[in-house]
Amino acid sequence: MKININITLNSEPCTLEIDTRETLLEVLRNKMGLKSVHRSCLEGECGACTVLVDEKPVNSCLVLAATVDNKKILTSEGLEQKERIHPLMQAFIDNLGFQCGYCTPGILMNAYALLNREEEIDDQKIRKSLEGNLCRCTGYVNIVKSVQAAKKEKDSGNWW
Amino acid sequence: MIKREQRLVRGRSRFTDDCDSTDTAHLVFIGSPYAHARIKEIDVEQAMQKPGVIRVITGKDILAYTNQLPPQADYSATRFTWRLAPVYALAVDRALYYGEPVAAVLAEDETTAKEAANLVEVKFDPLNVVTDSQTALHSEDTKLYENWPDNTQAHLSFQMGDTEKAFAQADHILPVSYREGRASGFPLEPRGCIAKYDPFRETLTLRGSFQTPYLQRHNIAATLGMSESRVYVESLDIGGAFGNKIHVHKEYTVALAALLTSRPVKWVESHREFIVTGPHQRDVDWEGEVAYSKEGKILGVKARIVQNLGVESTNKGIATLSLFPACMAVPNMYKIMGADIEGLGVVTNKSFYCAYRGYGKDKGIKFIEHAMDRVARELGLTPEEIRRRNYVQPQELPFQQVNNYMLDSGDYPQALQKVLDMADINAWREKQKQELHNGRYLGIGVVSTVEPAGVAVPNSQMGGLTQARVQMTADGNVKVFSDRTEIGQGAEKSHAVIVSSILGCSKNIVDVQPVDSEYIGQGPLSSRGAVYPASAVHKATQLLREKIVKCAAAFLEESPDRIILQDGYACSDSNPAHCLSFPELATRAYYFPGPRKLFKETLLEHEHLLDVTTTWYSPSTPETGTTYTTFCNSADVAVVEVDPEIGSTQILKYVHVHDAGTIIDRQIVDGQIHGGIVQGIGEALSEELRYDEQGRLLNMSLAEYLMPTAMEAPDIEIAHMETPSPYSETGSKGMGEAPIIGSKAVILSAIEDALSPFGVEVNDSPATPERILKWIGEIEQN
Repeated sequence: MKININITLNSEPCTLEIDTRETLLEVLRNKMGLKSVHRSCLEGECGACTVLVDEKPVNSCLVLAATVDNKKILTSEGLEQKERIHPLMQAFIDNLGFQCGYCTPGILMNAYALLNREEEIDDQKIRKSLEGNLCRCTGYVNIVKSVQAAKKEKDSGNWW
Repeated sequence: MIKREQRLVRGRSRFTDDCDSTDTAHLVFIGSPYAHARIKEIDVEQAMQKPGVIRVITGKDILAYTNQLPPQADYSATRFTWRLAPVYALAVDRALYYGEPVAAVLAEDETTAKEAANLVEVKFDPLNVVTDSQTALHSEDTKLYENWPDNTQAHLSFQMGDTEKAFAQADHILPVSYREGRASGFPLEPRGCIAKYDPFRETLTLRGSFQTPYLQRHNIAATLGMSESRVYVESLDIGGAFGNKIHVHKEYTVALAALLTSRPVKWVESHREFIVTGPHQRDVDWEGEVAYSKEGKILGVKARIVQNLGVESTNKGIATLSLFPACMAVPNMYKIMGADIEGLGVVTNKSFYCAYRGYGKDKGIKFIEHAMDRVARELGLTPEEIRRRNYVQPQELPFQQVNNYMLDSGDYPQALQKVLDMADINAWREKQKQELHNGRYLGIGVVSTVEPAGVAVPNSQMGGLTQARVQMTADGNVKVFSDRTEIGQGAEKSHAVIVSSILGCSKNIVDVQPVDSEYIGQGPLSSRGAVYPASAVHKATQLLREKIVKCAAAFLEESPDRIILQDGYACSDSNPAHCLSFPELATRAYYFPGPRKLFKETLLEHEHLLDVTTTWYSPSTPETGTTYTTFCNSADVAVVEVDPEIGSTQILKYVHVHDAGTIIDRQIVDGQIHGGIVQGIGEALSEELRYDEQGRLLNMSLAEYLMPTAMEAPDIEIAHMETPSPYSETGSKGMGEAPIIGSKAVILSAIEDALSPFGVEVNDSPATPERILKWIGEIEQN
């Protein structure tokens, strides 16, 4: 069945016609061309398709698009402002918080939600929060370091 | 093209799945539900009637349109037993493992293809199944390949040094056994590609997640019966590879589908498919004995490794080839008199084997590291002391090891000392004693390894020749071409660092090109990136530099030895104002040569003024008896706590000291260490592919095949030493695989130490809670 949903996608309000069987992942990737949302395990186990729905990280492969009507969706494309790289992304580049880059957009979204949610963070909190995002390349060490570096940027006011 | 890091982090990557065009058709494979079965009949009628289905490809098409897959490593003409079985792109008459592709459906979209796949009726006649290598070795009634006398694919034996003498002189001889479970490398992006056939030019192009396009093209062309000159293989962004993407597997059928239909054909593998159909690795059993003196000198080793290869692989011999380093790496960096090692590669009804970080070199080293611990325990020595007493000493390097490996450089005792100091090992041992009184079981592991890196093997496609091209374009920028695909290991940045430092310019003007099959080489396998391709690029850039200097000398009317290159300028050192920027220099060289002051001989001696293509080959080649060019070394200390109530293991501390020769980029090397260590931890603690008696894989989802998450992975402290290798152009050594070897060994070593009050030998992996509880007698064996 086709229905219309109204969402705010990366700060832009839009109305989308979707099939009720479609997942949020399918809609974002195939209809909206947001290729940072990686189609990966499709079982909610790897976290590569993580996006934010009303600021909360979700595995978009497990969410039916029909359920996000009237919600705010943020993907990593939406972190940039007028082509300006987000300080979180810059922190991942500076600290080599990625290698092959396949898990990276999902990890960025999860880390962004964490940093916006928590006033105080430590390594353990970062690790706990990223538990659902598998990375096979980095051993997570530089990911934790990148999130810590981003936290400093946020605290100094370089954040949006 | 924007730089890779910007592309990946800003969500502008181009992985295979990101590429679509409106006329793309989608391919989906149908796997066998049996681990061994004759294919009686495939009925495609119902599937073909479904709207949107274009074609179903079965074994009949494969026999009609393709050749058997070509051998990629062949030692059948040597003294060893070496067998190759016929393999096709799809199963043609028999399925030999659970999930083996028996047909593929091409449809207008992926969903239709998947739905149609369920409509293809395959009738099977199940056959006997054998998954265990010991059973397979002795099985009379379950033979995988008719023409073979048994299930042995390869039988190698190496007599290194004088082992009999070693055993005759020994005070003690200790039996040692060691087992490793089957593992998947599992890059986060499984395999995938898009094939396009151009019927007008009669060319076939495959773009996708290819680790070694040059070799892959050869095998695709041979299988399809096409000329290599009409096949192109191009790497897109690759979501991890770890060796798993060096060979071609289902891609052959994707290519055939494009040929048969002249449609662009896309195929992206699912995670479950990747885990089920492989490649797989490890799955070995070692039995052996170590001869040593009462002073703790290891004199000799006799051992036999049995590798469960699964079925004959689509990489035809490359899987089997991993037995060589498995056997030969046993001496590690220890000075021993001799080692007699026997290697058996056995075929079973499991999915096929191929490379995964470590390949085979890891196996010999993990075995000997375990044996070192056993000997230390027998003699009441610490693990560091037994190693100290057996190292090849720094002043002896380069050292022709008993296995013929030429250990190039390093300081093994110092690396060990450094890791012990950093870990503060004595304090941990003190804490271990105290905590034992409180009922807490802490364990400390110490291991050291060399990694044979940068491979060239005779009788195989891994021949070692590597090509690179470095070109200064007419606008003064620099383009770099090589065989080194970017699989996340930092190829692009590392090449840019080498080129910019030789040319005296910013990395930003150096554009490292995506890799396709046009440049000769094996790609980044066997940690060869920093050895072969980096050396080839280094050599090409040095030659380009000479050309730049000659052109600048002519333009500036200066002698070439007075020209310096810095900050993107070529200048006269006697007159700093006398300078040409690279854009000025390149424009003049390209467009205004001839009478405008260029030396005539410069023009005559060069095929092109500012463009160099060259090849590099290791000075220690297979022709001189060694397969590996460099030997980085590392030492690891891990502290774990084992909870005997529930059998869990927690890592409390992890320290790693590494000497990879000259470091091209510290951040990249650190990243390789972190990642490799955590993969090794996964293998040590939880990753194992388990099969049932019918040969069905039991754990094919990420919820069941357990890789470390951020919670299991420890923080890792690293220190570097930098002893340049005399055998690579940059002085750097391959190092991508060392961390996975040391970390698996050290975690198991630490667990054994933690369980020493129970007198347990930790010689099986992964050390899952279930195994730990069995070892300590909390639950029944078997």
